[in-house]
Amino acid sequence: MNSQPQPPHGPEAEPALRPHSYDGIREYDQRLPNWWLNTLYGAIVFWIAYWFVYMIAGLVPSDGAQVDAAMARIEATKMASSIDVTNDDKFWEMSTNPVFVEAGKQTYNSLCFPCHLASLRGKSENPTAIGPDLTDTAWIHGGTPKEMYVTIKNGVIAKGMPAWDPVIGQKKASEVLAYILSYHKKGGTITLQAP
Amino acid sequence: MVDSVTTINSDGSRYFLYPADARGRFSLARRLSAYGLIVVYLLLPWIPVGGHPAVFIDIAERRFHFLGYTLAAQDTWLLFFGVSGLGFALFFLTALFGRLWCGWACPQTVFLDHVFRRIERWLEGDAVARRALQLAPMGPSKFARRAVKHLLYFFASLLITHLFLAYFVSLPELWLFMRAAPGEHWAAFLFVFIAAGLLYFNFAWFREQLCIVICPYGRLQSALTDDHTLVIGYDARRGEPRGRAGTPAAGACIACNRCVQVCPTGIDIRHGLQLECIGCAACIDACDEVMTKIHRPLGLVRYDSLAGLTGGVTRWVRPRTILYGGLLLLGIIVATFAFSSVQPANFLIYRMSGAAYFVGAEEVRDQFMVRIVNKRPTPATFTVSLEGLPAGMRQTGFLAPVTLAAQEELVSPLILLIDRKYYHGAFKFTVKVADAARTFSLARSVEFMGPDANLLTEDDHEKHRHR
Repeated sequence: MNSQPQPPHGPEAEPALRPHSYDGIREYDQRLPNWWLNTLYGAIVFWIAYWFVYMIAGLVPSDGAQVDAAMARIEATKMASSIDVTNDDKFWEMSTNPVFVEAGKQTYNSLCFPCHLASLRGKSENPTAIGPDLTDTAWIHGGTPKEMYVTIKNGVIAKGMPAWDPVIGQKKASEVLAYILSYHKKGGTITLQAP
Repeated sequence: MVDSVTTINSDGSRYFLYPADARGRFSLARRLSAYGLIVVYLLLPWIPVGGHPAVFIDIAERRFHFLGYTLAAQDTWLLFFGVSGLGFALFFLTALFGRLWCGWACPQTVFLDHVFRRIERWLEGDAVARRALQLAPMGPSKFARRAVKHLLYFFASLLITHLFLAYFVSLPELWLFMRAAPGEHWAAFLFVFIAAGLLYFNFAWFREQLCIVICPYGRLQSALTDDHTLVIGYDARRGEPRGRAGTPAAGACIACNRCVQVCPTGIDIRHGLQLECIGCAACIDACDEVMTKIHRPLGLVRYDSLAGLTGGVTRWVRPRTILYGGLLLLGIIVATFAFSSVQPANFLIYRMSGAAYFVGAEEVRDQFMVRIVNKRPTPATFTVSLEGLPAGMRQTGFLAPVTLAAQEELVSPLILLIDRKYYHGAFKFTVKVADAARTFSLARSVEFMGPDANLLTEDDHEKHRHR
């Protein structure tokens, strides 16, 4: 039968004791495992390297700079994908594109219908409706696409039309506008109506 | 010597163990149960339950699927019961059975003893052969064996970490990650390879050091166990004094040292209960095997309490087990209540941006947004109803039931108007969301805001005078 060779500090060897004694209580003087000490030394080396890389050499940009850079990238992407919301022709073009119109209809039917009704005819269909008719030629806050876009974007706070830009963003707001414009013809009559 | 750790030499270097093979009923039972646990671990992500893997902690979608039961991020608070329940269960089981967990169910032991040590045993032979190979000079044969062993170790570690990741991303996604270039899913790639590297290091080199130095559970033992807790112990009354068979007046222990040779943490169980003991029962099998050979009764080393080992009777029911059991029971009751209170939907109502209320010619108007989340894996239809409304009210939005797809979220306006004649100041009402089948309903109290009713009346009188 094989027998384990006894480790160097086998049964006979008492561990060393520290010299002090308090009320007869003694303390062993045993070495920590080397692997344990190595984690400590490793942590110290890591700390120095980290401090040097971040604080002294600046090899890695600070957290603040990284956040700024990421925000700049997001802004750049937003700008690159945003459209010119003052271009009436663009909106009219969108209003003839079934993909845009269908997407706008989806958003309209989840957010706009309680006031302007599913028919978009608002007060014309039902005098007790909250929102005005969006299919007739009368416009309160401007009837050109770019004016209508501003109305959707910023709302009409005094009347209860919320600012939708923070809720749905430019893409969905443009789609909703395309859906509304699909009920109109480019160059149609616009009658300005008093609020 | 019990005052020092066997596996750490007095100069701090590591003393490697070559535990001998133990054969017997506990070794067999432990091997079978470990294979069972490994199979469960490897298979859970493959078994679909209710359209999702049996256990799928979907971090990306914030949906947590457990055997067909789905929780959403909103239910994270239930984790409290999961964690505290595990804690109390461990307390209770520890007070009764000591370190049953360590020896039989802990992943460290399960993978180390039944996967990694098996690979080593298969390639390098038994304890004697392994130590001889360690001492042998490096040659082609030794190099080849070592290389194959470490390759297999790393492969097993990779398998474990890949399956671990599958619990969080699901297998199809994992397969997608695996076929793509590492750079495309670099975070997952790094995670799997760093974790596999740690496991490899742990199972190839670190081994029992984790249990002895790092794991806090072993350290908690002295606070959780007592003289009536089941532990693995040596019956000193029967065994001592030790002596070869035939020695007059000698005890049952023949000092064959077999129990020490098989110990994976390098202790001598005859020194009594020690921190390093992970309760693997290898020494029981080793001693029983020897006792069988020399025709002496088994159980010189056995599962027993310290009381039982010194001739007393183990008391199972004692204040400690009653307390831990009571806490566990209380936890189970509260957890059952908490889990049954989880609703299959989430609902929120808040005021639309802009003014709090609008006063029109005929009516006062409040505008709300209602957000409903269908947490079920199937489509569901919800009705929104209002309770406690005064006369003269009307509503737009949510007049008809809404149908949400599986796990869909809906945000839509709810607008309330009250005829000025009926308006007598702000009031509270209740918004209820129920599914079409009426299996549950959620309610929230909301305030309808408006101007001071007197101002509104004065305003009306003013208008009448001007007419």
